[in-house]
Amino acid sequence: MIDVSRRTLRNGLRVAAIPIAGLRSVSVLLAMEAGQFFEPAGRPGVARLTAQAMLRGTTSRDARAWSDALDGLGASARLDVGSHAAVFSGQCLADDLGPFLDLIADTVLRPALVPEALEFVRSRALADLEEAKKDTRSVADQTWRELVYPAGHPFRTRSIGDEEVVRTATIDELRAYHRTGIHASGSVLVVAGALDAGRAFEVAEGAFGSWDRGDKLDRLLRSVDIDGARRRAVVVPDKTQADVVLGWPGLPRTDPRFTKAQVANMVFAADTFASRAGQVVRDELGLAYYVFSTIAGTAAQGPWTVRMGVNPENVERAIAVTFTELKKIRDGAVADDDLALARDKLVGELEVGRESPSGVAGMVLEAELFQLGDDHLDRYPRELRAVSKADVVAIASELLPIDRYGLAIAGPEITAAS
Amino acid sequence: MAIPSSTDFIDVPATQRLDNGLVIHALEARHAPVVSLWVWYHVGGRNEVPGTTGMSHFLEHMLFKGTPTHPKGDLDRLLARYGAQWNAFTNEDVTCYFETVPRDRYEVALELEADRMRNALISSDEVEAERTVIVSEREGLENDPSFLLGESLQAVAFDRHPYGQGVIGSKFEIKLMTRDGLYAHYRRYYAPNNAYVVVVGDDRAETLVAKAATAFAGVGQAEIVASPLAPEPPQMGEKRLVVHRAGGALPIVQLGFHTAAASDPRAAALQALAVALAGGGGGDAASGRSSRLYRGLVEEELATEVDATFGLTKDPFLFMVEATVRPGVAHSAVEAALLRELQRVAEELIDENEFARVRRGLLASVAFPSDTITWRAFRLGSLLSTGAAPSIGAWYDALAKVTPDDVRRAARETFVERSRTVGHFIPEAG
Repeated sequence: MIDVSRRTLRNGLRVAAIPIAGLRSVSVLLAMEAGQFFEPAGRPGVARLTAQAMLRGTTSRDARAWSDALDGLGASARLDVGSHAAVFSGQCLADDLGPFLDLIADTVLRPALVPEALEFVRSRALADLEEAKKDTRSVADQTWRELVYPAGHPFRTRSIGDEEVVRTATIDELRAYHRTGIHASGSVLVVAGALDAGRAFEVAEGAFGSWDRGDKLDRLLRSVDIDGARRRAVVVPDKTQADVVLGWPGLPRTDPRFTKAQVANMVFAADTFASRAGQVVRDELGLAYYVFSTIAGTAAQGPWTVRMGVNPENVERAIAVTFTELKKIRDGAVADDDLALARDKLVGELEVGRESPSGVAGMVLEAELFQLGDDHLDRYPRELRAVSKADVVAIASELLPIDRYGLAIAGPEITAAS
Repeated sequence: MAIPSSTDFIDVPATQRLDNGLVIHALEARHAPVVSLWVWYHVGGRNEVPGTTGMSHFLEHMLFKGTPTHPKGDLDRLLARYGAQWNAFTNEDVTCYFETVPRDRYEVALELEADRMRNALISSDEVEAERTVIVSEREGLENDPSFLLGESLQAVAFDRHPYGQGVIGSKFEIKLMTRDGLYAHYRRYYAPNNAYVVVVGDDRAETLVAKAATAFAGVGQAEIVASPLAPEPPQMGEKRLVVHRAGGALPIVQLGFHTAAASDPRAAALQALAVALAGGGGGDAASGRSSRLYRGLVEEELATEVDATFGLTKDPFLFMVEATVRPGVAHSAVEAALLRELQRVAEELIDENEFARVRRGLLASVAFPSDTITWRAFRLGSLLSTGAAPSIGAWYDALAKVTPDDVRRAARETFVERSRTVGHFIPEAG
């Protein structure tokens, strides 16, 4: 049982506090609805550039003074842009929660966003893009997105962005994005660990109370459907392993079928030991070192992908057996034990995830961000256990068609099996 | 701002040595209904000879292939059903297996570990099936230029000590590994008198120990023949190497300096030195940006990323410094900037404000992971396996006692030209 206390500040910022006895630190997650989903159409990369530039100083502290203050607390912190949210995550010692939230708030509410900050993060982003062109996992991921999502869709590009956008973004564009995208409304702050909930609300109010409410943004997207099997192999020179991404547009986190999809995903390929494809590809046939699948939790149809690292001569076989396992599921050949295993594993992971304050904070954040209900964490295990074989078959049949998918391969030239 | 004292850590483990030689250490952690069990074997890359390098790592994979009592997949599926986190790793010094499970499934994890300590099947068929998986793991690592350069640098830096061989072995060695060789390695090193158990979780420490003692008491010991390793002879001058490959976009500079073992009294100061140089962040982290190398290279737009690490190892290993070179910048400029920063920290005392940040980061690096049950168990196990400290609290105290003068002395003794190996990764057009 996770003991969550909630409060909504006057500006709309939702705060969840979870005291955990016996710890010395506090895990902090601040999610702002400023991820890829909310990025200006046609400008992929602006969200990440803005987030990175926000870390280059505030109106009262330059970048050096801000990082001196952060490292002076010994706190860990980062700001990442995901498919749905930009998330400030970190950990601090219990007594430092107030000063730590003040530093985060300074960055979020009052970033300097000076031209020099943009130039610094732009050159870093261009270097990252250059590296990504030689990284087989990145190439496979980007290729898959281009196969599946139409032009203009927020998930067509990785959060690092499009090179042309990164080259041409202006400081005014970043300031505008910050003004319209980074606000209290729709944002969620979760703190978990060595804290008193009442005191946590006080320091949260002190740090974020003056944040503008702003307007909660929304974005209407057309449904993404793939009209056939789309496959592309990209040769990345001088590599020894091929990375493979096979996938479909998934479903929004708020879709009532999402829990069923998670169970279907576990039965199919989420895990090496507990999933059919994982077991066959790695454990029985030894075709890959890693194989797993995930469904992105976003407001739209995020990627539902199977990823694996395979020797070039095993690529075709690994893909073929993955489809064979999927076909079995779609045909209803789901063993009772496999289904029970998938359900139990997902429920068990909720319990084991409580071992860390960041694990607890992550579970609570998902529920709060997508407004799954105050009782979500109580209901969720029951809902997982209620998923039936028919549900799994229906989800796989509807959302994982074997004749309509994206398949991207990046690495050495694919060779025939010896 | 209060820093936790070492007494804040419930960290003096309950310990029991069994008649078969197995030592069990347990800590209580009451904040979640979870137990994390770790079994550490004293076998790793250091116990291998050229030609069969990678054997300990290969063997680690085979320990997931079942026993006569529990055929492959049996307990794996049970653990998966409980939502367990479980895995294994091999490094230069040890091979380690762990399970983090709901409290009431602790006995299942114990049953798995006690059984596979002496009863793993290691069949020829399974060896063949797993060989391609390990080749695939190796190939995945080879896709990373930093790994490629680091592996070559390690090989050049050590003339004699097996630390130069690394852990995973070459693809050729993996392909030639025999079932009988693996089985002999298993029988030689996998025994209670060459292992110890660390368990942390939601029960009285004495109870955790007692349950482990019951599970492992019946495991027979083996005759462990100690094979003393001669130390690496002193390096007599700088070594340099270059790795060319098309498979990387940005150039890399790595510097490796022969340094002290984890049990050396200077180990805590060396850890502080790594934090002073690169902080605890890395990558896109916002933390660690007040560190010397971040300010001297990333802020100055010479490098996109920097890192400095002092690992806890049984024998003296390498203090590693790495920078990813920005496009348009020469390797030589980055190498010179790195060396300037190392010289500065070796010559000038870190001032009070900077040292306060270093110290804070250093102590937080112990406190934060300790709030996760799995990491608390790992941290205790790694301190014990390398001889760094008998407990997390003792290690915390050692870090807390480090002074600016200790850091300067550690830098002065470490960053010596004659014990330096310099590696450049040069991406080629492809």
